[in-house]
Amino acid sequence: MLSGWPPPVLDPAGPFAGPVTVVAWVLFVMGAVVLAVVLVALGVALFGPRKWKRRVGGERLVWMGGLAFPVVVLTALLIYGLSVTARVSDAPRDGEMRVRVTGEMWWWRVAYLDDQGRETVQDANEVHIPVGRPVVIELESADVIHSLWVPRLGGKTDMIPGRRNFMRIQADAPGVYAGQCAEYCGGPHALMGFVVVAHAEADFAAWQAKQAAPAAPSALPGAGVFSASGCGACHTIRGTEANGLAGPDLTHVGSRQTLGAGILPNNQGTMAGWIADSQGIKPGNRMPSYPVLTGRELRDLAGYLDSLK
Amino acid sequence: MRFIGAAFTALGLLGLGACADKADAPRALAGTDPAEGLRLIQSRGCAACHKIPGVAWPEGRTGGSLAGVGARPMIAGRLPNQPEVMAAFVRDAPSLLADTGMPLMPLTEAEARDVAAYLYTLDDD
Amino acid sequence: MTSETGFDVRKYDRFPTQEPRPDGELEQLEAAWCGPRRPGEWITAINNNIIGVYYVGAAMLFFVLAGVLALLMRTQLALPMTGFLPQETYNQIFTMHGTVMMFLFAVPAVEALGVLLLPQMLGARDLPFPRLGAYAFWAYLIGGLAFFCSLFFGLAPDGGWFMYPPLTGMTYSPGINADFWLLGIGFIEISAIAGAIEIIVGVLKTRAPGMTLDKLPVFAWAMLIFACMIIIAFPSVILATLLLELERALGWPFFDPLKGGDPMLWQHLFWFFGHPEVYIIFLPAAGAMSTIIPAMARTKLVGHSLVVMAMLATGFISFGVWAHHMFTTGMPQISINYFSAASMAVSVPAGVQVFAWIATIAAGKMRFSTPGLFAVGGLIIFVMGGLTGVMVAMVPFDWQAHDSYFIVAHLHYVLIGGMVFPLFAAIYYWLPMSSMRPLSERMGKWIFWLMFAGHNIAFLPMHLTGLMGMPRRVYTYLPGRGWDLPNFISTIGAFLFGLAVLLWVVDMVRNFRPFGPREAGNIHDGPGLEWLPSGYYSVRSVPLVKSLYPLWEQKGLAKQVEDGRWFLPGAAGGERQTLVTSPLNAEPQYVLRLPRPSPWHVFGAVFTAGFFLILTIQAYAAAVISGVLAVYCIMRWCWFLDTPHSRQTTDIGAGIRVPNYVSGPSSHGWWAMVIVLIVGGMVCLLAGFSYVFLWSRRPDLWQAPPEMTSMLLHLGVLALAGLAAMAAPRILRRAATRPETVATGLLVISAAAVAAGVGLELKAWWSVGLKPDVTSQGASVFALLGWSAAFAAIGALMGLYILLRRAFGRVSAERPSTVDLIGLFLTYAAGQAAAVLLLVRVFPGAGS
Repeated sequence: MLSGWPPPVLDPAGPFAGPVTVVAWVLFVMGAVVLAVVLVALGVALFGPRKWKRRVGGERLVWMGGLAFPVVVLTALLIYGLSVTARVSDAPRDGEMRVRVTGEMWWWRVAYLDDQGRETVQDANEVHIPVGRPVVIELESADVIHSLWVPRLGGKTDMIPGRRNFMRIQADAPGVYAGQCAEYCGGPHALMGFVVVAHAEADFAAWQAKQAAPAAPSALPGAGVFSASGCGACHTIRGTEANGLAGPDLTHVGSRQTLGAGILPNNQGTMAGWIADSQGIKPGNRMPSYPVLTGRELRDLAGYLDSLK
Repeated sequence: MRFIGAAFTALGLLGLGACADKADAPRALAGTDPAEGLRLIQSRGCAACHKIPGVAWPEGRTGGSLAGVGARPMIAGRLPNQPEVMAAFVRDAPSLLADTGMPLMPLTEAEARDVAAYLYTLDDD
Repeated sequence: MTSETGFDVRKYDRFPTQEPRPDGELEQLEAAWCGPRRPGEWITAINNNIIGVYYVGAAMLFFVLAGVLALLMRTQLALPMTGFLPQETYNQIFTMHGTVMMFLFAVPAVEALGVLLLPQMLGARDLPFPRLGAYAFWAYLIGGLAFFCSLFFGLAPDGGWFMYPPLTGMTYSPGINADFWLLGIGFIEISAIAGAIEIIVGVLKTRAPGMTLDKLPVFAWAMLIFACMIIIAFPSVILATLLLELERALGWPFFDPLKGGDPMLWQHLFWFFGHPEVYIIFLPAAGAMSTIIPAMARTKLVGHSLVVMAMLATGFISFGVWAHHMFTTGMPQISINYFSAASMAVSVPAGVQVFAWIATIAAGKMRFSTPGLFAVGGLIIFVMGGLTGVMVAMVPFDWQAHDSYFIVAHLHYVLIGGMVFPLFAAIYYWLPMSSMRPLSERMGKWIFWLMFAGHNIAFLPMHLTGLMGMPRRVYTYLPGRGWDLPNFISTIGAFLFGLAVLLWVVDMVRNFRPFGPREAGNIHDGPGLEWLPSGYYSVRSVPLVKSLYPLWEQKGLAKQVEDGRWFLPGAAGGERQTLVTSPLNAEPQYVLRLPRPSPWHVFGAVFTAGFFLILTIQAYAAAVISGVLAVYCIMRWCWFLDTPHSRQTTDIGAGIRVPNYVSGPSSHGWWAMVIVLIVGGMVCLLAGFSYVFLWSRRPDLWQAPPEMTSMLLHLGVLALAGLAAMAAPRILRRAATRPETVATGLLVISAAAVAAGVGLELKAWWSVGLKPDVTSQGASVFALLGWSAAFAAIGALMGLYILLRRAFGRVSAERPSTVDLIGLFLTYAAGQAAAVLLLVRVFPGAGS
C-alpha cells in the first residue's frame, strides 16, 4: 500500500472522525459540481455560440448563479453542518474515562484521571485508550498554545494557557493512531508528535494496571548512571528517588511507542542516541545532549531505561 | 564522544589497521536481503546515532557515519570487518566490545544478517 | 434633478465651452504642475503620478522579496528532513513571508493602485492630501525595508504572522525579534490609515462634476469601501500590537493568564482585523476585475449596481466572521454556529461578482490579451479558493482542516486568485497609462501560463498534503507518511511561479518607461476617464461626466478635454488646484489649493520611521530625539498650509466662480479630521471591549474604583475642556473684539483641561493602589487612560501650535479651518476621556 494513502482525514477510525469524513466527501462533491457549473458558464461565455451566450450574458445569470444558487446550496450545507457539529462535539458526560493532556514545549504530558478528577497515572507523548468507548481528553497548556490533532480519530482542539478545553475520541479497532501538534508553538514545533494506542478492553485493563505500578527496584548498572548523572532533576521514576517534573515521567518509558515525542522508534539504541545527542536530533528541545557519558555509561543508561517496561 | 576516542586509541595501539586489506574476505552473506536490511534500519532507528546513506533522517552524530562502512578494514576500529562479525555486532555489540557505547539492538539473528548485508552495500567512501 | 448644494445644475449646459482659451493658459498649467527637474526633486515630489508609481514599485519589490522567501521554504520542504534551512531560520522566514505579503505587499499594493489611478479616474488633478500621501509612502518604504532587513541579522520575528501570545510574549520570545514585528507593523499600519484617509476624501470630494454616485466607476467604489474597512479594521491590530508591546516592555498583563490576562484576547483583536483584511485586499482587486473585464469584452459590466451592492455587503459581513479562525479554540457552540453561518454568507456576494463577470464576458466578446487572460485565470483560481472556503466554514470539516496544509492551499487560492492575478491584470491593463511603452504581449502570455500552471502545481497538491495530516508552519517533516511526493510537486510548481515573476521583472525592465513626455495611452480602448490624455496635471480640463463609461458614450470627449473646453482648464495664479465637489452628486463646491513639493514630509517620514525602529533596538534617548524631530518636521509641514489666497474665488470655466476656501463640514480638512477621530474612536472602543473581556475572565481580580466625588470633579474638568473647544470656532467667527486671541485662548484652556482631567484620573487610580503590571484590571484601566492621555498630549501639541500661530499672526477669522480642526480634535479628546472614565468607574461597579 502506498504510504500516506488513504489520507488519514479520509480514513476515519472512530465515531468522532467518521461523520466528518462524510462531510468532507459531501463538500468535495459540492465543490466539484459548483466548479463545473462555473467552468461551463465561463466556457459558454468565452467560446459558446451566440445564442447560448445571449442566455448567459444578462443580469438574470447574476441573480440565479450569484444569488439564488449559492443561497440554496449554502443553506442546505449549513443545516447539515450544524447537525454534524452538534453530533460530534457534545459535551463530556459523567462516567466517561478522562485523560488530561498538557501541551509543553515540544512534548505532551499525559495524566489519567479517576472519577474525582485526580491524577492517577502519569505518562508522556501517548494516550492509551480502550476501543469502542468514548474517552474525554482534557486539554491544557503549560506554556504556549498547542493543538492536539489525531486525524483518524477526529478534529483538533487547541490547548490554551489559562483555559481547559475538551475533546472526545474513540477508536473502533485496536491500533496505533499518529497525531501531531497543529498550532505553531515555536522552535521544533514540526517535531512534536503524538500517538494514541487503542487496546481491546482486557488488554487495556492490563496495561493500566502495569502502568499504575511503580518501577521495580533495579540492579542494573544504568540505574546508578541515571542518579549519578542527575537525570532525576528533570524526570520522575516512581519507586526511585528521581522526582523531577520538568520532563516526561520515565517510570515506564521502555514500554512507550516512541522517543522524542513521536519522532524515533523506542529501543536501547535510539535511547542512547537521544541521550547523547538530543539537540542534534530535535534542535532546540528542552533536553540537553549528554555527550560526556562514556560509551559504557551511555549503554548502561539506555539499557536501564529500556528495562522500565 | 569519549568512546570513539577510545576506539581510535585502541586502533593506534594494536596497529591492526595497517595490515588489513579491502579484499581480505568475501563480504557477502548468503540468503540475505539488503532491501529488508534498509527497512529494518529505518524501523529500528539506527540513524539516531549514525548517519547512514539511504536514510534521510535523522543524521545521528553519536556513533559516527556509516558511509563506506562496507569497505572499511575494521568494525568500530577494533574488530575485523567480516560479515559474520558485522552481523553479530549490529545485534549485540557489547558482547564483542565491552566498552562500546552501542547497546543491544532489538534484532533477530536473521534480521541482523539483513542489516549487515545492507551495510555491505555501503562500500563507497 | 434636485441640487445637493444649491449649485444650479443648469450651468452644466454651458459646457463644452466654445470661445478660444486665453493665451498661455496651458503653459501656466504645465508650469504649476511641472515634474522634477533636479535629482532631489524626485524625492520631494508629491504628485500622485510620481508617488503612485513609486508606491506600486515598492509594493512589487516586497512581493518579489517575500516570493524569494517562499522559494527558500519550498526548497526546504521539497524533501523530508532536509537541512537546507535551519529550524530557527525557517521559522523567521515563514513569519516574514506571511507578514511581508500581507502588510508590505498586499495592502500597500492595492492602496498604491488607488493612489496612482483614482485621481485620473475621478477627473481630479491629484488626491486631496498629496503630502500626506507622500509621507505615507516614504514611511512605508523606509519602515518596510528596515523591517525586512532584520532577516539578515537573524533578528526577524519568528512567531508567525499572527503573532499569538504567549509564544510572542517576553517569556518565550525574549529577543527583540518580536518587537520588530510589533513596532514595525504597527507603524506601517499608520501609513495605511493615512492612505485610506486620502482615498475616502478623494473619492467623496474630488470627483469630476456630474459624477454622481451612480456614475462612480466600480473601481472607485471598491477603493472607497476598502478605505472605510481599513478605518474600521486596522485600529484593531494597532491596539493589539500596542497591548502586546506594553506587556513585553512593561509587564502589563493583557495576555498572561497568571495575572488575569487571556491569550484569546489577542486572537479576537487580531482576527477582527485579520479577516476583514482578506476582503480589504480582495475588494480593490475585484474592483479592478470589474473594470478590466468589461474593457476587454468591450461591453458594460452586467449588473453594475448588483456588483456595488455585493461589495458593500462583503464589507459589512466581513466584520462578522473573524472567529472562524478560532473554531478549534473551544468556543461555545452558539458562537461557532453563528460564525459558521456568517462565513458562508460572506461567499454569496463573491458569487454575485463572479457571475457578473461571467455574464459580462458572455455579453461581449472577450479579447485574450494579457489582461484578459489574467482576469479569466484569476476568476477560476478565486472560485476554487472560494469553494474550499465554504468547506472550511463547515465547522466539523474545519476541525480537521484547520492549521493543516489544506488551509495553506485554500488561502493561496483565494489570495492569488482574488488579488495577485487581478493585480497582474491591472498592471498589464493600466501600465500604458504611466509608461511610454506597454508591456510585451508575447511575454505577458508566457508569464500568464507559467504563473497559472505554477500556481496550480504548487497549491493543488497541498489540499491533499493537508488531508494526509501535515500541519502548517513546520520547518520539516518525517519521511514515511506519504507527504514526500506532494511536497516535491508543490516545490516544482513554486519554482514555475517564481520563473513567471522573474520573466515579468524582465518585461518591466525592458518596457516600463515612466515619467516620459508622452504615454502609450489607451491601447485597450478603455472607457474610463483615466484614459484621457494627461500630463502631470492629470487632465487639461475636468469633464462633466454623464455616463459610467464616458469615453465610450461621450463622443469627442478626449479632444474637448485636451482643448480645455471643460472645468478648471488652467492654473489660476500659477497654483496647483483641484476641484472639490459634493459627496453625492459631485456638484462643484470650491477650488482646493494643493501643496507643492517639500522636503518636510520626507524628513517627517524618516524621523517617524526612525522613532519606531530605534525604539525597537531600545536606544530610548535616540528614539526620543527622532520623535521630537518628527513632530517638528510635521508641524513645519503644516505651518504654511493655511496661508491666505490672493483672490477669493476662481473661475472654473464658463464664468462659473467658486470660492477658493471653505471651512466647516464641507471642507476636505474637516472630513479628514473626522476620519482620524473615527480611527481613534475604534481603538478606544476595542480597548473598552478588551477591558470588559478581561473582566469577564477574572472578575475576582477587580478592585473597587476611587471614590465617586473625584469622578464628578474629573468629568467636570473634561466637560469644561469640551465646551471650550466647541466654543472656539464659534467665537472666532462671531466675537466682536479680538476673536483670534479669544479663540486661541479657549483652545489652549481646552488642551490644558483635557490633560488635567486625564492626569487627575490617572493619579486617582494610582493612589487607590491599582498598578498596571499586577492585574489585568490595572493593565486595561491604565491602557484606556493611557490612550486618552496620548490624545491629551497631541492636544497639547496642537495647543502649542495654535499659540505659535497666534504669536506669528497666523490665526485669522477669515480662515478658521485650523481653529475648527483643533477644536474638533479637542472636543473629541475630551469626550473620549469622559467615556473612558465612565466605563472604568461605573463598570462593573463599585460593589465588585
